[in-house]
Amino acid sequence: MEWKTDWGLRARMGFTMFLLFALYLVFAVVITTFFSGSAQLFLGLMVVFMGAQFFFSDKLALYSMGAREVSEDEYPQLHATIGRLAQQADLPKPKVAVADSRVPNAFATGRSQSNSAVCVTTGIMDTLSDEELEGVIAHELAHVKNRDVMVMTIASFLSTIAFLIVRWGWLFAGGNREGGNQAPVFVAIIASLVVWILSFLLIRALSRYREFAADRGGAAITGKPSALASALLKISGKMDSVPNDDLREQSEMNAFFIIPIKAGTIGRLFSTHPSTEKRVDRLRELEREMETQ
Amino acid sequence: MGLFDSVKQALGVAAEADATREGDPEALFGLSTAAVTMEAQLDFAPADEAALCFSGVDSTAFTDARDEVAAVLDAGESETGTVFEFRTDAHGYDWVVLADTEFEDLVTSVHFAADTMQESGFGSRLLAAAFPFERDGTVAYWLYSFRRGSYYPFVPTGNRNHDSSTEFKLESVLDSELTIEEDKEYWYPMWPEGDARPWGRPLEPGE
Repeated sequence: MEWKTDWGLRARMGFTMFLLFALYLVFAVVITTFFSGSAQLFLGLMVVFMGAQFFFSDKLALYSMGAREVSEDEYPQLHATIGRLAQQADLPKPKVAVADSRVPNAFATGRSQSNSAVCVTTGIMDTLSDEELEGVIAHELAHVKNRDVMVMTIASFLSTIAFLIVRWGWLFAGGNREGGNQAPVFVAIIASLVVWILSFLLIRALSRYREFAADRGGAAITGKPSALASALLKISGKMDSVPNDDLREQSEMNAFFIIPIKAGTIGRLFSTHPSTEKRVDRLRELEREMETQ
Repeated sequence: MGLFDSVKQALGVAAEADATREGDPEALFGLSTAAVTMEAQLDFAPADEAALCFSGVDSTAFTDARDEVAAVLDAGESETGTVFEFRTDAHGYDWVVLADTEFEDLVTSVHFAADTMQESGFGSRLLAAAFPFERDGTVAYWLYSFRRGSYYPFVPTGNRNHDSSTEFKLESVLDSELTIEEDKEYWYPMWPEGDARPWGRPLEPGE
């Protein structure tokens, strides 16, 4: 089974990462130039903190979603489905978690391939057919396979630092040198602001490209692009009709969801996920390639 | 993990690449000698049955490939007497189940089927080949993972449990004859349906 390599997607992904890297390089020079030892110590602490966050990403994500790991006895069918798909994807079987929520959603988390978890909500199991659910789970396994948690953690690391400097940088303005010039710190804060805005846009773009990549990966795992497409359409239709209240609390988790929860009118640039129509279009293309190879 | 794998992950194509990687049906022949050892040293006799598990693809080309496998096995049946059947299990996966009292013929037929699938461009859809062996009512399987290119033993007891000590024994004794999967995280179980096989009721060999 073969389909055309999506060179355009790879090129855009590579280019985005290159821009981010270049931006961060400049940023690193700025902070090491303008900040004194104490501020750098603070940055060091941040590194440790974010490292810990990454290390415990599986538990943290499950906890924040109110999900719990379930045994094979409780959900034999779900375990079997995830096991078989992992086998096709050449992954060790991830932990299986279920969140008790009516919102139809799924996400994958974990720092490495052998330390990952796939979580589905009870809502998604009720909403989708077996085949559609397989499509969604395969999409999540593709995220695990592509190590998206790690890629996105690294990609957003310096962006978070930049944000913290914008927010708290003024604390380091005073007391650097007796009667010294405080202008450099403000230059650094302005620079951080620029880095934060630019990196934010780049990270969101990267996130959207990785969703496309995971769609392709998921379709390759199941061999059924149409199953994922119909699942996406079904979920996005359902999303609109679910009341907003229980959604808002979960907005931080959006980047890892199969379809993000709508929060009013966010511009396309700020979105972590491509639009459902675009994703379905691409899957349709794969379906066509499969038939006309 | 190599640099190349890291690059594939960074570009987000690892999932696609690995899910569409072809298997190696030639490795199946390793089981012929392993079967002799199984019987001579461990009293595990071949159960006259073998099966090939694959995940279907939603395309006409795949249906054609399946038909071709059937044609190849049909031709083989008149020659070696290996009977076969297509099955779909409870998880929606497809199986070709084969039965023959001659183990060599069984291996050859499984290889034929896998190879035909590969030739038709669907080698990446081959999941596993399963060979059951029996000793006093205990059924032990050798599973070949096309995805990993390696073998691993699987001895299910009732209620979704493994007989780990028997698995360990099989692994130790056949270590020099088969490429055994080193990472046990990849020893995926294929649970039997009820008291039967993972592919349902056993298939009886022809006369």
